[in-house]
Amino acid sequence: MKRSEFRSDRSSASFSGNMRAGLMAGAAMVALAAPAAAEGQLVLLVWEGYADDSIVKPFEEQTGCRVDPIYVGSNDEIVSKVMSGGGAADLISPSNDTAMRLVDAGVIAPVDPAKVPSMADFMPQFQNPEWLMKDGQLYGVPYGWGLIRIIADADKVPADTDSLGFLWDPAYKGQISVWDDIETLYMAARYLGFENTYDLTDEQLEAVKAKLIEMKPNIRKYWFTTGEMGTLMSGGEVVGGSSWEPTLVELWAAGKNVIDVKAKEGRGGYSDSWMIVKGAEENECIYPWLEYVSTPAAQALAHKVTGFGFPNSKMSAELDEDTRATYERLGMSDSEALTNIDWWQPAKRRTKYLEIWNQVKAAAQ
Amino acid sequence: MLLWLLPPVAWFSVFILVPYAMLFWYSLGHTEDMHFVPGFSLANFARVFTDEPYLGVILKSARIGLTTAILSAIVAWPLAFVIAFHTRSASVKFALYLLVIVPWWASYLVKAYAWKTILGTNGILNATLQGLGFTDEPVRLFLYNEFSVVLTLTYIFTPFAVLSIYAQLERIPTSLIEAAKNLGAGGWEIFWRIVLPISVPGIIAGGIITFSLAFGDFVAPVLVGGSDSVMISNIVINLLGVAFDWPMAAAIGLVIITLGLGLISLTGWLEEKTKVRL
Repeated sequence: MKRSEFRSDRSSASFSGNMRAGLMAGAAMVALAAPAAAEGQLVLLVWEGYADDSIVKPFEEQTGCRVDPIYVGSNDEIVSKVMSGGGAADLISPSNDTAMRLVDAGVIAPVDPAKVPSMADFMPQFQNPEWLMKDGQLYGVPYGWGLIRIIADADKVPADTDSLGFLWDPAYKGQISVWDDIETLYMAARYLGFENTYDLTDEQLEAVKAKLIEMKPNIRKYWFTTGEMGTLMSGGEVVGGSSWEPTLVELWAAGKNVIDVKAKEGRGGYSDSWMIVKGAEENECIYPWLEYVSTPAAQALAHKVTGFGFPNSKMSAELDEDTRATYERLGMSDSEALTNIDWWQPAKRRTKYLEIWNQVKAAAQ
Repeated sequence: MLLWLLPPVAWFSVFILVPYAMLFWYSLGHTEDMHFVPGFSLANFARVFTDEPYLGVILKSARIGLTTAILSAIVAWPLAFVIAFHTRSASVKFALYLLVIVPWWASYLVKAYAWKTILGTNGILNATLQGLGFTDEPVRLFLYNEFSVVLTLTYIFTPFAVLSIYAQLERIPTSLIEAAKNLGAGGWEIFWRIVLPISVPGIIAGGIITFSLAFGDFVAPVLVGGSDSVMISNIVINLLGVAFDWPMAAAIGLVIITLGLGLISLTGWLEEKTKVRL
């Protein structure tokens, strides 16, 4: 339950996210009152779940550093808090659609990989990933990650489906649900074969819009929270669409025959990273924390809480048998199988993308 | 004297004047890479009226609000009438009154969500229809479209209409009805010529509330709406949270507030005109 709650509104805007933003303002003020850089204390601006007690407690006992998490509901919240300065946090955990934006804004300090030895065990994708590299320097330690899955009911959709094309198939009129988020716009761009997903031209955006409007007769509903897609699938409302991994895992656990479509057009991938807020470099608790959360044991704990993928290749060995089997079924432990992934990047013209997405939603069927 | 004025003036300034001034200030600027850049441009207002999808969505939201207001009034009137005139015992009256208000103690989300389980493909309604042999296959038209949005909004906001119509009907003295009867008026005539006209200001007052609440709603379209059920508040939330386009969101907000003020002035005038001295 927890994970579906907090995953729901990371980059899509939601009312709960906004309420959380309101609560957050209060929490941030408390954080400002106590200087973040105080020795022996770490202020984290993170997703709920990334600083769960089960993860934080062992670290506090080992190191004597106190961890004070501030939870955020969206990447924008992280950006606005960090940009406004004032030492609101020492470490943040933004996604790859936001990371470089912060680096470019000059508010992030680079990471010294030599001080995080466990990173050596990370899967190759997460060693110096593109979304964290600038001028040969690494600006974050990869953490939770996952793919936007395209799923389909095996009883209604051919099991050998390997393309996004079925989402437009008139056979599934009113039986598809995709995420109410600009990721769906990215998805249509991938289907149209545009390789510059995050920097589309006006003509390409128009083509994407037309393609998404073409999909509307098939759309039963644009889902909004993670749990929703699971309900739509198990309630017989839809036969397929996009989903987060926890939804797919839930459906499998409920014994549903659901295919994880490995679309040849590519899949969207998110990856969160721990980033050091400029000015907090001297905090002595930073590197102990970065190393701690990079270890297989800590990442296994985090997987238990969040259900996300984690970069340490030895992490899955720490999981119990069932959890590991599911993790392997998702193809998350095998770095060689993780190909054709269109990792998120900051969309150059986010406002424009969003306007197009709103136009699609407002368009009559 | 001045001391008495202090709380209302302070309240008015802090919660009305300053926020609206800020809203206006934001609406004249623009954002660059997530930073607000102040300015004196009306471009955002022009975008509301010329760029898709803003004006279209505002009009659609208004349509949904109006439908909700009308349906709420139709549902609420007979109920208010029964509570006002056909409930003799005071305790039954109180119980009915309470039953109208009680759903408000439950969370809005839970109530909206409940409609999913009623209207869904495998929902209660479809199960019943199939069980009774009316249909062979589940009817998919009940949920995830404008119908389910309006139905949910009507269900949720009807209590407001009931309360304001009831308040108006309560004011009709029984002596008035008795006098009409003595003068030979029949049941229908009393209804058409006395009770209904007197209730009009209550219908209008309830209508303003239900219209405003439904117009600005963003939960129902998300929970029970379909592929084109986006409403203006959803767009504003998106602009604030995802696009970080606060100036545009502020401009939309001001356009809606202006439309709202116009509407309230109009209905206020109507209410005044339809008022009957008792």
